Amino acid sequence: MTMLAPITLASSMADRVGLLWPELLLLIAAMVVALMGLSKDRTIRGAVGPVSILAVLASGVLALVTGGAEAAAAAGVPFPALAQWLKPMVALIAAGLMAVQGGFVDQALEAAIGRNAAAFNPLRAIRGEFHAFALFSIAGVMLLTTATDLIWLFLALELVSLPTYVMVAIGRSDRPGLEAAVKYFFLGAMATAVMLMGFALLYGATGSLQFDLIRNAFGAQAASGGIALLGVGGLMLTAIGLFFKITAVPMHFYAPDVYEGAPLPVTAVLSFIPKVAGFVGLILVLGTAGLTSGELPKPIIALLWMAAILTMSLGNMGALLQHSMKRTMAYSSIAHSGYMLVALAAGTTDALDALLFYLFAYGVTTVATFGGLAVIQRAGGDADRFEDLAGLRRTNPWATSMIVLGALSFTGIPPLLGFFGKFWILTSAFEAGQVALCIFLVVNSLVSARYYLRFMATPVIAEPDSNATPTERNPSRAPVLASVVFGLALLILPCFTGSIFGWVQQATDAPAKAQ
Amino acid sequence: MTLSPITSMLPGTMLASSDVPAATIAPEFAWLGWALALPAISALACTLMALCKVKGKLPGWLTVASLGTCFVLILKAYQSMPEGPIVVPLAEWMSFSWGPSDFHSLQAALELYIDRLTIFWMLFVSGLGTLIALYATEYMEHDVKAGYARFFAGVSIFLFAMTALVMGGNLLLLYLGWEGVGLASYMLIGYFFTRPSAVAAAKKAFIVNRIGDLGLALGIFLTWRCYGTIEYSELFQIAGNPPRDGPWEEALIPYLLMLGAFGKSAQGPLYVWLPDAMEGPTPVSALIHAATMVTAGVFLIARCYPLFLLQPDALTVVAWIGGLTAFWAATIGMAQYDMKRVWAYSTISQLGYMFLGLGLGTTFGACFHTFTHAFFKACLFLTAGAVMHGFAGQLDIRKLSGLSKIPGFRMVSWFALLGALWLAAFPFSAAFFSKDEILSAGVGSDRADFQFLGWLGLFTAGLTAYYTFRVWFRAFAGPVHFEPGEEVHAHGEFHPHSPRWAMKLSIAIIGIGAVLAGYPAYEAMFLHKENWVQWMMAGSTAVGGAGVVEQAADHAAEASSGHQVLGMSAHAATSVAGSIFGIGGILIALYLHLIRRSAADSLRRAIQATPLIGWIPGAAENKWYVDEIYNAVFCVPLWVTGHVLHFIDKHILDAGVVDGIGSSPSLVGRVFRPLYGGVLQSYAVTMAGGVGLILAWLAYTWLRGGF
Repeated sequence: MTMLAPITLASSMADRVGLLWPELLLLIAAMVVALMGLSKDRTIRGAVGPVSILAVLASGVLALVTGGAEAAAAAGVPFPALAQWLKPMVALIAAGLMAVQGGFVDQALEAAIGRNAAAFNPLRAIRGEFHAFALFSIAGVMLLTTATDLIWLFLALELVSLPTYVMVAIGRSDRPGLEAAVKYFFLGAMATAVMLMGFALLYGATGSLQFDLIRNAFGAQAASGGIALLGVGGLMLTAIGLFFKITAVPMHFYAPDVYEGAPLPVTAVLSFIPKVAGFVGLILVLGTAGLTSGELPKPIIALLWMAAILTMSLGNMGALLQHSMKRTMAYSSIAHSGYMLVALAAGTTDALDALLFYLFAYGVTTVATFGGLAVIQRAGGDADRFEDLAGLRRTNPWATSMIVLGALSFTGIPPLLGFFGKFWILTSAFEAGQVALCIFLVVNSLVSARYYLRFMATPVIAEPDSNATPTERNPSRAPVLASVVFGLALLILPCFTGSIFGWVQQATDAPAKAQ
Repeated sequence: MTLSPITSMLPGTMLASSDVPAATIAPEFAWLGWALALPAISALACTLMALCKVKGKLPGWLTVASLGTCFVLILKAYQSMPEGPIVVPLAEWMSFSWGPSDFHSLQAALELYIDRLTIFWMLFVSGLGTLIALYATEYMEHDVKAGYARFFAGVSIFLFAMTALVMGGNLLLLYLGWEGVGLASYMLIGYFFTRPSAVAAAKKAFIVNRIGDLGLALGIFLTWRCYGTIEYSELFQIAGNPPRDGPWEEALIPYLLMLGAFGKSAQGPLYVWLPDAMEGPTPVSALIHAATMVTAGVFLIARCYPLFLLQPDALTVVAWIGGLTAFWAATIGMAQYDMKRVWAYSTISQLGYMFLGLGLGTTFGACFHTFTHAFFKACLFLTAGAVMHGFAGQLDIRKLSGLSKIPGFRMVSWFALLGALWLAAFPFSAAFFSKDEILSAGVGSDRADFQFLGWLGLFTAGLTAYYTFRVWFRAFAGPVHFEPGEEVHAHGEFHPHSPRWAMKLSIAIIGIGAVLAGYPAYEAMFLHKENWVQWMMAGSTAVGGAGVVEQAADHAAEASSGHQVLGMSAHAATSVAGSIFGIGGILIALYLHLIRRSAADSLRRAIQATPLIGWIPGAAENKWYVDEIYNAVFCVPLWVTGHVLHFIDKHILDAGVVDGIGSSPSLVGRVFRPLYGGVLQSYAVTMAGGVGLILAWLAYTWLRGGF
């Protein structure tokens, strides 16, 4: 393994195009939407949101119809059936996130145009680009699921990340928004540099960029005395770089500032799309070193272990102190990454399934909660203080119920979907012998109830302060609609956990058989 | 007098022979799922109508129609029913698995378990449900604008839950239905939610049932833990051949299930909620708190009988609790003045008989009595409801007299007499035979304690006859006299408001049903056929399979020849003694409450004047002070503890410990806060520092000698 093999990428791209119809559809839709946003016609501009949602849903259906696991296996995808689960799942939740964004437009300008009080100004009509960027990001996650080598992985990850930087930047024209975008971009670039360093070391250790060849090389090394330091270092740096995407310790620092600086719908996107990308990246990279067979090098397991505990604990502890709802959600999303890292540290196929299911449960809950929170706003911006929720039960009982459901699901209260996610992670980690992690998870869940209760209690119990300026109602109905649909799903889907579990388990079946 | 062969089975004699036939999967019966779906649909529709404030009787008629269809479906199932039990899968539901063995998985599909016991129970549940809903369409009409739709939504939810309880294919569905009927009962007892006493009664029913339901839940957990399944079809096969060395917790299962049954069926120490539950509208009392829901406990034990057969001592406990409750409740019933309360105590008492029957091993007797009781008790409650409806809520038997002479109440009075005769187990009434089945099993038993319970039951039958006819002679016979109740709305002179066709029709059909309920016994007696109820029990879990029936029949034949009681067969002795006690009770009531009403008062005064027993009438009227004792023993200490804990919580824990711990995250936060200062460069340095630390650690471990 000292001699470096020439870099080979998969020979026939044509094989793989067959797997990429959903992504192609999304890219085309992104162009169309960007153009539609520039139209002078108000109805065409208004159609941007619905068209994006339809495009995302259609790509999900397309992923179900096309993308066979056999074709993916032939193309050398490490987890050939992963896309079968992830692409429709991401599409479904992304559709919800797009609906939450439905309210995100320069409503004041649109209203003024409607009254003929203002002329159409393409520079202020950010709606088209905004949706286009979101679509790019979603396409990136989908591309990621069929990555066969590190280059593809890198490009797909950047396709996920770069649009999110822009979305943070153009979402708000005020200073905090720009500050958040700058922080996000620079720190993201730094994390990417760490990850690329890891890639370089991986290439040095194995002489290949292709996942299957790297796996073979690691397998050979493991058989003869263990994976070399270079390889371990590469895996470690790559993982740490990816920790940025999933907001895990020590790469989590940016999250509270960025989530707070971004507008609420973008915060919702940030807390789901990059997270899926990060975890898929981790699964693919660590999969080369025996993630599901419990053969990971000890330092990597130790890293995941420490990261899991610190991420859970710091996330929940940080969330206790916040006054801003978005900041609380940032810490809460850090904590949830910690829970999912528990599954990764457990390192069994069952735990991996649990993680994939948890992503889904987390996504559905995110849409339900953020959709509910998006119904109130203040002077065109977000109403971000907990006190702003006071009295919401009277003004918007539906949104209130969905926020309560979402908070309960985040806490992991049966019979909501979030409970099943946590339950599965707990049982699989317990089976894998990670009792200490299980205890940390349960204790952290208990702590988290403290701040999720604020999301439940404030809208239901508290009365609005009569001196404060009242919040305004979001003129768009789309967020509350998305919230209700996904909130009811939190209640209804648990009836079908059997089928969903089966579906998730298929996603990781093939490599288990191959081993 | 030759009656049908009794299944006077002694628990000890039939151990290890509970071979319930294996169930076959029958997807072709999937249409029975509509029996579950129809009440659910009607519940949803009524809820919608309540939300939309529908005015009119539509919710009532919709409920009657859906329940009627449900009854027709059950009839159809009765006709096309195969011999053995069947399992009808409807949908996937719970399915967890975390390991290879049975004990590492939990399966609970949405499925029905249909054997003859199921059909038998559903026949009277859905039939009476339909008729009582019909009655309620008229009874609740004064509420058409306010709570009419809410009432029928509650009734539909109840029927849905009861159907799930009876027809469900596993203990989890039973539990779901169990909690569902509890919820419906709570909502309907508290139907008049502006009345504090109704709200208190609803809460009391719910809380007392919590205790029983905890037992049931623990019992189900343990069943799964000991047998690895909660599906009836598998469970009873395993229970038929129990593992020799099962875990010790196995012995607890029947006791825990029993606790659930006692709570729901108002037995033993947990009966106190049922009399207060009479705060609900009378159709609810008739349907839920007399005829159907309260028999769920009997159903639970009959359904899980194979599990009880594994622990004969558990059945002895059931027998004792049942027998003592029957007696205890009858003594209280003798001293009450509110007609519905008397019927409530008689319900507790009659349920006690059913549990006595279950404990003595005659599930046939218990189920037969459940069947006859459902009809005559519903009839009594519906007539009481007609009185209440007509006299503005008046039910005090001291303020009502001679109702049978008031036009419009004649029919009601005669059907009340019918119900009273049946409740008093007048010779050759339906209840006479069903009660006889139970008591002869006790009197003819080998065991002294069972014989005692049998004789106690016979004595209680005398008390029952007395208090039943005390009500009838006071309220329906004698000179005409009445005072309207508190719900008088119209000004001027009060006129009784006689029932119209819907109430009369329901009362008539249920009354005729009560007469016909005796038909199986007549058939067995005069035509020497098998008792229909016994036939319905055969092959079900209640008798633990056909093998046991044959064995029991042998045993019964032996018993009728072997055990002589008072020189007669046990059956004949019970019948004669029961008749004497019953007629004696009626005659005493006739004298004290019709012929010379003043004699009752002077007798009461005479007792009160006697030392040692002078306290009895007052104590019986006050329900032996059980509520007060419970209040002193449970509620007051809990209340005090609650306040003490609240004080500790507020002034010691909150002020000291919690605020201390609570401030620790913020202290930690303050330590870390400089890291979150919002300055980009410091973030970058911190993150890089983190990466550096990890790499340094990696290098350190590698230098220490690899991984």
